[in-house]
Amino acid sequence: MSMETREFLSAARIDVGMMTAWIEAGWLGPHCKSEEFLDIDVARARLIRDLTDIGVNDEGIPVILNLVDQLHGLRRALHEVLSAVRAQPETRRSRVSRPDSPY
Amino acid sequence: MPTDPYQTLGVSKDASQEAIQKAYRRLAKKFHPDLNPGNKQAEDKFKEISAVYDLLGDPQKRARFDRGEIDASGAERPRQRYYRDFADAGASNPYATDAGFADFGSADDFFSEIFSRHGRGNLSMRGGDVHYNLELDFLDAINGGKQQLTLPDGSALDVAIPPGTRDGQVLRLRGKGRPGIGGGPPGDALIEIHVRPHRIFTRKSDDIHVELPVSLREAVLGGKVKVPTPSGEVTMTVPRWANTGSTLRLKGRGVPRPDGSRGDEYVTVKVMLPEKPDAELERFIAQWHPVAAEREREATGG
Repeated sequence: MSMETREFLSAARIDVGMMTAWIEAGWLGPHCKSEEFLDIDVARARLIRDLTDIGVNDEGIPVILNLVDQLHGLRRALHEVLSAVRAQPETRRSRVSRPDSPY
Repeated sequence: MPTDPYQTLGVSKDASQEAIQKAYRRLAKKFHPDLNPGNKQAEDKFKEISAVYDLLGDPQKRARFDRGEIDASGAERPRQRYYRDFADAGASNPYATDAGFADFGSADDFFSEIFSRHGRGNLSMRGGDVHYNLELDFLDAINGGKQQLTLPDGSALDVAIPPGTRDGQVLRLRGKGRPGIGGGPPGDALIEIHVRPHRIFTRKSDDIHVELPVSLREAVLGGKVKVPTPSGEVTMTVPRWANTGSTLRLKGRGVPRPDGSRGDEYVTVKVMLPEKPDAELERFIAQWHPVAAEREREATGG
């Protein structure tokens, strides 16, 4: 589901200037240039706004965004690995969780 | 009963606005849900801090609270959806990155597979493919060339027909489909070719088959005749006694192939009597008494 600029701005509680600057800086994805926003863009814009409120400066924002995105990438990968492990029979699962176990 | 907002921030009641902001920042840094994905407590704590800061961070609201005009809780805001709620979703996250484990993905493809499965493609979506039908004359399909396709919106699309194009073949015009979404590449135009039948040629694979009417005289004595091929007339020698049904091959006169070679043309002889009765031929045949005709008919089951 995508939304228009006005809707995005009011949901993210930011102004056009911030939006433009953030897209320009690459903090918001290039797909935002076509003025089609996703729910995740609202959430990301709010995060950026929160980070600014906390006192993170313009240099710090992309560093944090990048790390947060990496963290989510890792979380997803870990989640996949865990589901894969959970799908295994109990004996194999315990081999993963307790490699020293004789089973 | 909501706890004392000043206590939540850990400041005294007479703290300056600066001190309140400082306290908020210190706690927010610690508890922001996006800096603590997977930690529910942090989210609750952050909500509390945010609510308190909404109140105390605004000098007017703070003054009203201090005067007892409003209470600390205020109206419950609808649950804010944090970045992590979407970022963890995976499939629709355009900001997804495998940078955090790209270095150990190379050894086995397990991780890269996880990633490719979970999209990242959604950031910018490729436009859809559009299907068209194009009817071609038999020879245009075989010899190739440029054709124009008129689109529903009235615009024209130039289609290069490669030599040897088959009936039912689908030509792909890259980037001529629907425009991409969010800066994504456009889709392709897929053009299905329909080849009209030809009056005299038929096509089997890369070979052309044609029936060649020859006169009685040519059939009996042999000789040079002109034969149509898809690329123009050629002269062919018909051997003596070329009966109806006998097939001659014109090598390399068939359908062009992508590698530059060509199929063959197969010419099937069809002996034709003159269209109008010919008195001279009748006289000649009357004097001719073949013995084999009856037997031949029996042999062919006629």
